[in-house]
Amino acid sequence: MRIPGLGNAADNPKHVTPGDDPEHHPRARDGRAPNVMRIGEWVPMRQHRDEEEVDFAIVGTGAGGGTLACRLAEGGLSVVAFDAGPYFRPLEDFASDESHQSKLYWTDERIVDGENPLQMGSNNSGKAVGGSTVHYAMVALRFRPEWFKTRTLMGYGADWPLDWREMWRYYDQVEDDLKISGPVNYPWGPYRRRYHRRAHEINAAAKVLARGAEAMGIGWTPTPLATVSAPHGDAPPCVYRGFCTLGCSTNAKQSVLVSYLPRALKAGAEIRDLAMVGRIETRNGRATGVHYFREGKWRFQRAKNVVVAGYAIETPRLLLNSANQEFPDGLANSSGLVGRNLMVQGNQAVWGVFDEEIRSYKGPPSLAISEHWNYDDKGHGPFAKDFFGGYSYMSQGPLPQLWANTQASAHGLWGEALVAEMQRYNHVAGLKVVSEYMPQERNRVTLADVKDQYGLPVARITYSWCDNDKALNRHALKFLREALSAAGGREVWDQGDDTCHLNGTARMGADPRTSVVDADCRSWDIPNLYVCDGSVFPTVGGVNPSLTIQAVALRTADRILARRR
Amino acid sequence: MPMPSDRASRPPRRRAASVKRRVAPVRVEAAVHPVVVLAAVAAGAGLLTWFAAGRSKPLGLAAGGRSYSSRGHDVTASAAQRLNHASTMLAASVLFDSGLEHYRGQFFNRAMYTPIVVSSVTLAASLHGAGDTDTGSSRVRHAVQALAGLTGLIGFGFHAYNVGKREGGYSFQNLFYSAPIGAPMALTLAGVLGVVAERVRDADPDEPHLAGLSAGRSLAVATAGMLVGTTLEAGLLHFRGAFQNPAMFVPVTLPPLAAALLVRAATKPEGASQATAKWGMWAVSAMGVGGVAFHAYGVARMMGGWANWRQNLIDGPPLPAPPSFSGVALGGLAALELIERSRIRF
Repeated sequence: MRIPGLGNAADNPKHVTPGDDPEHHPRARDGRAPNVMRIGEWVPMRQHRDEEEVDFAIVGTGAGGGTLACRLAEGGLSVVAFDAGPYFRPLEDFASDESHQSKLYWTDERIVDGENPLQMGSNNSGKAVGGSTVHYAMVALRFRPEWFKTRTLMGYGADWPLDWREMWRYYDQVEDDLKISGPVNYPWGPYRRRYHRRAHEINAAAKVLARGAEAMGIGWTPTPLATVSAPHGDAPPCVYRGFCTLGCSTNAKQSVLVSYLPRALKAGAEIRDLAMVGRIETRNGRATGVHYFREGKWRFQRAKNVVVAGYAIETPRLLLNSANQEFPDGLANSSGLVGRNLMVQGNQAVWGVFDEEIRSYKGPPSLAISEHWNYDDKGHGPFAKDFFGGYSYMSQGPLPQLWANTQASAHGLWGEALVAEMQRYNHVAGLKVVSEYMPQERNRVTLADVKDQYGLPVARITYSWCDNDKALNRHALKFLREALSAAGGREVWDQGDDTCHLNGTARMGADPRTSVVDADCRSWDIPNLYVCDGSVFPTVGGVNPSLTIQAVALRTADRILARRR
Repeated sequence: MPMPSDRASRPPRRRAASVKRRVAPVRVEAAVHPVVVLAAVAAGAGLLTWFAAGRSKPLGLAAGGRSYSSRGHDVTASAAQRLNHASTMLAASVLFDSGLEHYRGQFFNRAMYTPIVVSSVTLAASLHGAGDTDTGSSRVRHAVQALAGLTGLIGFGFHAYNVGKREGGYSFQNLFYSAPIGAPMALTLAGVLGVVAERVRDADPDEPHLAGLSAGRSLAVATAGMLVGTTLEAGLLHFRGAFQNPAMFVPVTLPPLAAALLVRAATKPEGASQATAKWGMWAVSAMGVGGVAFHAYGVARMMGGWANWRQNLIDGPPLPAPPSFSGVALGGLAALELIERSRIRF
């Protein structure tokens, strides 16, 4: 009997760096894949030949693809999941070094334009098996129920073809799978089951949020996070190392890499790392497989069904690039909406200096949250709402290099001035929003003429704020400034240009003319082509999207399996 | 090349020195770790208590030297010794637990040294009493135990204040992560059981009374209450651990059952058999000792496991905590002994 947590499960300072190079040579091959929970160990992996027609070829192994691959394999289907990124071993490959850990990001070339061009390549995209969940901030929040019907109930955006009560069950399931550590009673939204781990101890930066919220008369709570506060299998409880957004080296963080993918492998799924999918093949209106680049050459994997789960930039890029004579505008694009309605979320912040030491980098970055403005639709006085949508805001914990970058870019500090400012790093605390931007058709992903290292056209990302987005930004920054000042912050300043998360370029809906996929994430045009990631969101809401992506993936898996029976 | 930070940290000029000259204060600098000093102080205080409590009287002054029995002849003396076993267990648990946790808290407040010294003297007094087969109380032990009881109550006040002053007040977040609100009460329990031990020594062996009530029955009900209180503390902290291991349910289910048995025992006529309740007490005692092993497994499941013991002994499940259950259960056994009016053999 193997006892959980013993042996070489946890981070061991005596270990040596693995001899192989996961960024250039695939690890998942020869019938085995890395055992990410144990140093140097492997798990057996079922493999398929390219000519073999597998049940599902899944492009992407992040929140959407990885979760779906797990559930489909557990349902008895043969699954091959492709990821363009390396198969990291967190216990061995992750360093406490911000520059080095940028290896987790998708830094391939992209072209950005529009009135408010997005900054790509760090917090909003990942290139690794497990996707951006490997470096996400682990904030695990449910949508407000009304957000599944914003058009009908609140007058903006578009309705989801899903019922919130059904989603609530899938949220329960994903929260159980990831052992989300959250408060004993979550103050917002309808009744929900208790989190499976208790909330983490809050750090000084989170206490700043708490003091500010109490002074402003609104609620706050410890943030539900996908990092365990008590052991879970081989995952030790979080040790508050603070490198969460640059890869957790202890496996406390329940990324898809360490949660769903080991289950997927156990259930017989195959994962192909360093495998970039470039085109989906179709014949007679059905997808027949995917062309992918691995180990120096292009190959073709036959499949009965194809799932695209590359997140809101790579998903439309792949669908558009797969255009052929049958589907000249790109796959699943009869509505013309593939690549349109790209939505990010506002990530503005206010920062201030405090008399006491804060050391905000200790522990997970967002340990306290207020969702007040997601649930208060009117506001009053100076904070009356004159816009649609809402926002949550969280405490922050920027690591030193990121903070130096922020100071250099926001205030133009350099040299001695930057060094002097960095002396105050330990006394800085900030509040950051995750806010709901409107879906707009002009915000879109298209293909540029430039080619990347695989010879594929790179994505052009066009993004502009609308007036509603700008009004929301003003409200959020004004409120955050007051909250931070009320908590004792001095020299409060705004960081007004940051955004996060990518959603909505292949939206789901009830009508084939106004959506790309149906409620089951199946494309209206091609019955065996699915999209399962943040792209399917018709609206984004004011919370981090990962939990909803995973809940939708669990639902999609159930629907696929139900149809098979 | 001088860095800007070098310039910033230049010490200010001392102009005041030329105006007022003072003799430098005497400074004693020790090269030993402060924790070693604390341990020495605690051990010294314990030793002093031991000697102050005097020597235990020999059983008989028969020729051929002294002979001691492991257990007093009178039921009161025997029960008192057992009560001192209980207070020993509790005091030791408090000594190591408060030492560990207050070390973790870096003795941020000077008052955090108190429980370590007080539990040391309590431990010494309790050990002393545990070996004393005589009836008749000791004034030193009595005073020390009373001090422990009082210290625990004051500690409870400190901890309650610490919880309440934080952001969010008496919320689960603060009950989980600030000073554990129930922990100081373990020292009070040690003190109470120690005081009762001295009182029982003074009581009439044929009809022991405490404050006008039957000693056995009142003690049984009291220890039942103590078990429930300790269960609440364990329950809170195991809830913090989300009962991630099913074994974490044992200390919140077994002790209340044992407490119920104790209460039932108090209602039985004097002299009736208390076998069930006794087994209950032994079960809780064993659980307290076995809990250490489970907590050791918990330490192993922290990041780095036992190889990283310097961190994980502090941040993992506390090894010294579970035996406080054993301590209270031994007090329950003493109560049963008094109710049965016959000594328990082992």
